[in-house]
Amino acid sequence: MDFDVINVTTTDELCSAIAGNLNNNFRIGAGYTDLILELKQARVQDLTIINIAQLEDPSFNSIIEKGDHIILGALVTASDLVDNKKIKEEYPVLYESALSVASTQIRNSATVGGNICNASPAADMSAALVALQAICNILDSDGRERNEPLVSFIKGVRKTSLVKNEILKSISIPKNSSSHIKSGFEKVGTRKSMEISIVSLSYHIQCSSEGTIEKAGVSCGAVATTIPFASSACNFLIGKNIDAISEIERIGFAKKVLEYAIPISDIRASAWYRKEVLFNISKSIFES
Amino acid sequence: MKIAFKINGKSITKEVRPSLLLIDLIRDVLKLKGTKPGCLEGECGACTVIIDGYAINSCLYLAINVNGKEITTIEGLSGTKSPLHKTQEKMIEHGGVQCGFCTSGMIMTTKAFSDKCIAEGITPTRDEVKKSLEGNLCRCTGYVKIIDAAEAVYEN
Repeated sequence: MDFDVINVTTTDELCSAIAGNLNNNFRIGAGYTDLILELKQARVQDLTIINIAQLEDPSFNSIIEKGDHIILGALVTASDLVDNKKIKEEYPVLYESALSVASTQIRNSATVGGNICNASPAADMSAALVALQAICNILDSDGRERNEPLVSFIKGVRKTSLVKNEILKSISIPKNSSSHIKSGFEKVGTRKSMEISIVSLSYHIQCSSEGTIEKAGVSCGAVATTIPFASSACNFLIGKNIDAISEIERIGFAKKVLEYAIPISDIRASAWYRKEVLFNISKSIFES
Repeated sequence: MKIAFKINGKSITKEVRPSLLLIDLIRDVLKLKGTKPGCLEGECGACTVIIDGYAINSCLYLAINVNGKEITTIEGLSGTKSPLHKTQEKMIEHGGVQCGFCTSGMIMTTKAFSDKCIAEGITPTRDEVKKSLEGNLCRCTGYVKIIDAAEAVYEN
């Protein structure tokens, strides 16, 4: 494994490094927990890494509140999310997904931006962020910015809408409109730790004080080439009372989630198994 | 690329190849062989070291990114003249060591976790202790004694 590194510490340096390498083969390096493994296997020649691990820009590496959004810098690590009190209390889906990533050591390095840009349909934090209807804030090498919903930013396995002169700067999630929420992340794998999801279900449901469901976000991981947002399943929930979802409605909800699953059979599980599991975990979130 | 960092309390400046991994800097350049190369893909945790209080896998970390940071390896916890660290003592007391290959990683993970718990005034549950060790594999002991040892760190 051999490559050149351009180390950047400011956003201006980052933009010039990208602009100056548009004709070269370059990759962005942040947490390196996926990139080093990939480079060890791929043996790429003439590669330049633009190292953003030492970037000192708060818009890239902190969690801030701005207006009606919470903004997560792309360099925020899974551990930063786990240790953030607000994330834990107000966005349990994101907290639980971050805590389910690999191990403490990996979580201490792995960034939320890397999890998204790696564009794996099984990426846990990305799945939670799709359910939260997160928006990607993208910067280009000329300093221009654009926003795109995460659900369409991920185009397929290892494909995003980023073009060569762009980089993911941060991710915005809308603040909750209610304090009565039901939010969580269900992950099924063959073991609890160091596991890539066979199936995951992310849900973030906001209710009135009487329990009427007003907003819902549901996404499913590892069952398609992207991370689908299950709109019809969300719409199905609106207006229902969170504490009085009947068995028939649970099945109805699970069937709607399943409409978004087009899984493949691979080394981790068969397509049939993935669908069965997704149906059952979708049904189970309203039990108890 | 020139980097300046602290390792086990000692300030060091080195010229390193940009693609050098931290584990290779520690073992081959600095000759600190207590940090073990296991799977070299972030699964086993044998190469765990602490950077600015956080346990990380040194096999998935670029050496250049320790610039300005403080690294602690197993050699930094005790020496021939200083007593063993509490996490090491507990590991011996509870018989958590067999072949020993995973031990330095287990100790470094436990130290980082216990430092964090103590700083926050928390005594973790057994399940939390177990969860903290999820990134470390041992092929000898069956884990119970290691978890017992990691839990005993919080005894008075």
